[in-house]
Amino acid sequence: MNQVDTAQFKDAQFRDDRRWMTAPSLGGFLGAASILVVIAVTVGSARQVLPESIAILLFLTAVLINAAGFGFWIGIASAFGALAGFNFMYVEPHFTLHIAQPQDLITLAVFLLAASITGLISGRLREQVDAAEARAAALEVLSQVSTELAGAATPSDVTRIAVRHLNALSMGPALALGPVDGQLRLLAAVPEGYLPEASELEAADNAWRRGRPEFASAQGWSGSRLTFYPVNGGTERKDAIVLGHARIPADRRNHGWRDQVIAVIMRQITQALQRLALTERAAAERRRATSEELRAALLASLSHDLRTPLATILGSVTTLRQLGGTLSPEAQDDLLAAIEEEAERLARYVEKLLQLTRLQAGVEVHSTWVDAGDAALAAVNRARRAWPDARIEDAIPPLPMIHAEAGLLEQAVFNLIENAVKYAPGVIRVAGTVEAAPAGAEPGTGRVLVLSVTDRGRGLPGPIGEWLASDSMTVGPQLTGLGLQISKGIALAFGGTIAASHSALGGAVLEIRLPVPKEQGA
Amino acid sequence: MTTRQTILIVDDEPQIQRFLGHALMAAGYETRLAGNGSEALASIAAQEPDLMILDLGLPDMNGKEVIERLRLRSDLPVIVLSAHDQEMEKIMALDLGADDFVAKPFAIGELLARLRVGLRPRRSSRVEVISQDGVVIDLDAHQVTRDGEQLRLTPKEFDLLAVLASNAGRVMTHRRLLQQVWGPAHVDDVPYLRVFIGQLRQKLEADPARPSLILTEPGIGYRWAQPESGKT
Repeated sequence: MNQVDTAQFKDAQFRDDRRWMTAPSLGGFLGAASILVVIAVTVGSARQVLPESIAILLFLTAVLINAAGFGFWIGIASAFGALAGFNFMYVEPHFTLHIAQPQDLITLAVFLLAASITGLISGRLREQVDAAEARAAALEVLSQVSTELAGAATPSDVTRIAVRHLNALSMGPALALGPVDGQLRLLAAVPEGYLPEASELEAADNAWRRGRPEFASAQGWSGSRLTFYPVNGGTERKDAIVLGHARIPADRRNHGWRDQVIAVIMRQITQALQRLALTERAAAERRRATSEELRAALLASLSHDLRTPLATILGSVTTLRQLGGTLSPEAQDDLLAAIEEEAERLARYVEKLLQLTRLQAGVEVHSTWVDAGDAALAAVNRARRAWPDARIEDAIPPLPMIHAEAGLLEQAVFNLIENAVKYAPGVIRVAGTVEAAPAGAEPGTGRVLVLSVTDRGRGLPGPIGEWLASDSMTVGPQLTGLGLQISKGIALAFGGTIAASHSALGGAVLEIRLPVPKEQGA
Repeated sequence: MTTRQTILIVDDEPQIQRFLGHALMAAGYETRLAGNGSEALASIAAQEPDLMILDLGLPDMNGKEVIERLRLRSDLPVIVLSAHDQEMEKIMALDLGADDFVAKPFAIGELLARLRVGLRPRRSSRVEVISQDGVVIDLDAHQVTRDGEQLRLTPKEFDLLAVLASNAGRVMTHRRLLQQVWGPAHVDDVPYLRVFIGQLRQKLEADPARPSLILTEPGIGYRWAQPESGKT
């Protein structure tokens, strides 16, 4: 649609704007001639009844119409034609073009004057109309560009939009070049496949290095045929991209407004690139903060979750060694059992820690297409092996594939089950469902995959629920172990959330909610 | 034989309670258990134990709060167990009136040694002369000798030494030392304290770089080494 608009604008605007100078067209001549003929025939047939003065007025009207309608030159020609017609019918000798009296010359002069004044005035009028049309067209182009730029999500969108409009405005090739590994490379070109010449590449490179426009060499001179502007959304000169467009042809008298439009577009593009750079920086900052918070949460829970088993192991071992003689055999057995249990607990924590360390890095999560149902089932099976006495039900239908990492997703579900086993006696139910996008959600949001673990315990303490629901990875409430923190970290890493609520049966429901990518809708 | 002394163990981790129970029983103490702060305070109100071992990270209230409430009515010795390695936690607990701290994880010998210090009756009458590792401190005469040789100490150095040595085995926080020796206005002048400790070590210690009398508790304070006779 945009292409069509710009093409239309191109047709409308490239006619010359100084109308009174325009060479008369054949159509104009024919039109003017037919008007004159109509008047002449009318006057000729009514010659007996029409006084001479009225006939002159009629011919003058024809001249005015022609001058106003077809321009200065046709107006002048019409003046001669009208005089000839009038002379032919009214001036003695009748039906000849012979001019016998001086007043005929005066009539001719009046006709010519009327024709030229009318032609000039109407020409000026057209000029103004054209100028207004050009302004409207410029505004339309600019508003179109800014609308498109507002929707641009990446710098390459911006360059594509820029190149397309520069091509339409300059009616010649338009290019975008940008730095790749410190070298300027072609990013986009319209017409597609256009290969810049060496002189153009050199000019682009100059513009990029010096940070100022490099203008096309004048027609007939060797050098770049394109004008290059450096456009920078970042802070460093080397981050700039270079936009090039063909020289606006010098014979186009309205090229001035095109230059202005191009200058404005360059500013708009700079702003769009700056906006994208700022957005990107803010996102990076958010990612960094999340990772910092994750680290802080990890450190805080390390203390509790790693040192408690260590304290038991070290304390029990030293008790056995130093006080072994005074301990009853039952007490010695109990201490050994405690050591074994705590060593196993420690091993599980270390495993989780390794996973959390990967999560912490954020970028190291290798998302692939994962069957969420398989991952959840794997977690259930692992939990059943770990706690043979726990009653764990599963209700996991075939679920859509999502972008995640199977091992981490399994761990996230496993941690929720572990939490339930630890704190809630009774049946634990692991379920998987898919929810439609909530009504009124942003258009981008798709379906949501929900993996839930429901227990029959006393429900989660309020602060933990609130903490889970928050975006923050800061230290959870004191009761939060490493498990829930990791589950939350995993959910966030895959673009999801974690939520806690109370089940109808009185226990807690913990949900990992993950977005289902759009492509899976089919 | 006197009756066995009672230790109240306050920790929310059953495993810690489990091994501490066995260990303290074997070491000849009675034990009572509490899983959180309010239980601990209720247990103390019902019958005061001889000492409390208190974990700082409790589910219902912070260990510091337990100490604060306890100190309103009792000077029961408190040894803080801390799984938090943040110095501030320990320092605040000690400043609030805890007698000592043991960081998790710990060997039982260390805890038992701290227990004995904590259970040792506080000196009601000042000991006149402290003698340890060849250093003799005569508190009344303001005289210190090392291997029979008279040492020259400034009055402040002597005051600091007296406070440390009369609390042998107990950790003294920077704040407490500064307050007792220099007064409440100087409780934050830790660098000042460090200079004086350095001078004391130069004069007292056999090897000032590896002190054996004035021990550093990093970030927290100093401790006068427990006399040999008190060690296991």
